[in-house]
Amino acid sequence: MFYQPKTVEEALAIKAELGLGARFVAGGTDVVVQMKKGRLSLERVIDLSRLGDLTEARLEDDVCYVGALCAHRTLETWPIPVLADAARQVGGPQIRNRGTVGGNVGTASPAGDVSVALLALDASIDLMSVRGTRTLPLREFFVGVGKTAIEPDELIVGFRFRRPKASGFYKNGKRNSVAISVVCAGASVWEDGSVAIALGSVAPTPLRLTGTEAFLRERGLGAEAIAEAARLATEEVRPITDHRASADYRRAVSGIAVSRLLTQLQGGAHVALV
Amino acid sequence: MSLSSNPSVPASLGDDQATYPLSFTLNGKPTEAQVHPLSTLLEVVREDLRYTGTKGACHEGECGSCTVLVDGVPMNSCLILAPQAQGAEIVTVEGLADGETLDRVQEAFLACGAVQCGYCTPGLLISAKAFLEKCPDPTPEEVRKGMEGNICRCTGYMKVVDAVVQAAKSSKGGCHAE
Ligand SMILES: Cc1cc2nc3c(=O)[nH]c(=O)nc-3n(C[C@H](O)[C@H](O)[C@H](O)COP(=O)(O)OP(=O)(O)OC[C@H]3O[C@@H](n4cnc5c(N)ncnc54)[C@H](O)[C@@H]3O)c2cc1C
Ligand code: FES
Ligand code: FES
Repeated sequence: MFYQPKTVEEALAIKAELGLGARFVAGGTDVVVQMKKGRLSLERVIDLSRLGDLTEARLEDDVCYVGALCAHRTLETWPIPVLADAARQVGGPQIRNRGTVGGNVGTASPAGDVSVALLALDASIDLMSVRGTRTLPLREFFVGVGKTAIEPDELIVGFRFRRPKASGFYKNGKRNSVAISVVCAGASVWEDGSVAIALGSVAPTPLRLTGTEAFLRERGLGAEAIAEAARLATEEVRPITDHRASADYRRAVSGIAVSRLLTQLQGGAHVALV
Repeated sequence: MSLSSNPSVPASLGDDQATYPLSFTLNGKPTEAQVHPLSTLLEVVREDLRYTGTKGACHEGECGSCTVLVDGVPMNSCLILAPQAQGAEIVTVEGLADGETLDRVQEAFLACGAVQCGYCTPGLLISAKAFLEKCPDPTPEEVRKGMEGNICRCTGYMKVVDAVVQAAKSSKGGCHAE
């Protein structure tokens, strides 16, 4: 069965009724591939593509907002480098035109580039159901490979984050385009001196480096502190070996990514590291 | 509470076996089809409607051979569930030429020899068309980035890049791009 609700209320009512038996489809760039590979049965589909309100994104001086149905291409030109560069490196143009931010987070891939960028912005996620709305820090949303804290009747509505003073993104992949990250990383600094760092493909979920961040809060962004933070990062990641890279390689790249990102942020520059 | 008794829930668009009536615009023509809800737009366009210009190869969004314009924006038709195209304007390679007059991207691909077996060509042409709308006077580097979602197994990419640069210059005939 295929449902095509026109409003968020309708979508929530259908989901409340069908729960786990129905799956939301936004761009379908993850779901349709999984279905074709026989890894997922799509018996009941709730198509989100008519929920125009959720495509909204607002770039503000203080708190920015990105709706769940915002396509990656919308973010490609945003003056927030960690988000723009992550979006610009998802798949190819056709995927970026179709794939959504909510779908990237909803998939909960350990390698989700935009998920890592949002984590590195210390974003929160708004979830809605017929029971009401709740907001969670995004770092509490990812609980395992493909697993999230979403309830069976909930819809991802959007994401909020404080606009950082400077930010950057790094992606290491097997080729320049249409490649899943071997390691990706994002970092942001705010006026108040707080720092957020997130890495992808180095743990079962996109990972916030809370230990490394705590160290930097004490020590600032001097050259020595950065060298130590890079070392701490290699200890904090929990990579595995798979067909794309070895755990050792991922650990080494994690340290390099953190070192490069922090060195750039130190100058307060808006950086793009590819 | 059943779905039908809840006034905020619309009736389902079909049961598991049922097909769903799709109406959309295909290459400028209002078009109707009965589609299985889990069929892809690629399957409907090629197999049901017999517009076989659009090719399928990987069926996973990797190769770009199935690229069509959806409301003017290039997307992989292998990843779109057919009912999602309800009301959309779809343009396939068959929609590029104006009668017998080829589009400038088609002319340029011919002039530059950017075609070998031709399997990837419809997708490349659609991507090129959309790319040039966004970036009318590109450098070869910009073309490479703009066309990164399409894979060609035989011509290689040099001639394709030449052709897109050439199409931008819009002159017909020989290929002058480096
Ligand atoms: C060729 C190719 C290349 C790719 N490259 C990359 C890449 O480089 N980097 C990367 O990170 N990803 C990549 N992806 C993965 C994918 O494109 C992205 O994760 C994309 O953002 C998914 O969005 P979508 O809207 O298509 O999700 P969908 O496939 O529609 O949905 C994905 C999941 O999220 C759920 N969902 C979607 N929206 C909501 C919502 N609002 N509320 C609740 N649940 C929701 C769905 O139920 C489903 O479980 C690639 C995919 C392909 C096919
Ligand atoms: S067939 Fe759709 S991208 Fe390959
Ligand atoms: S011309 Fe043969 S695949 Fe491109």
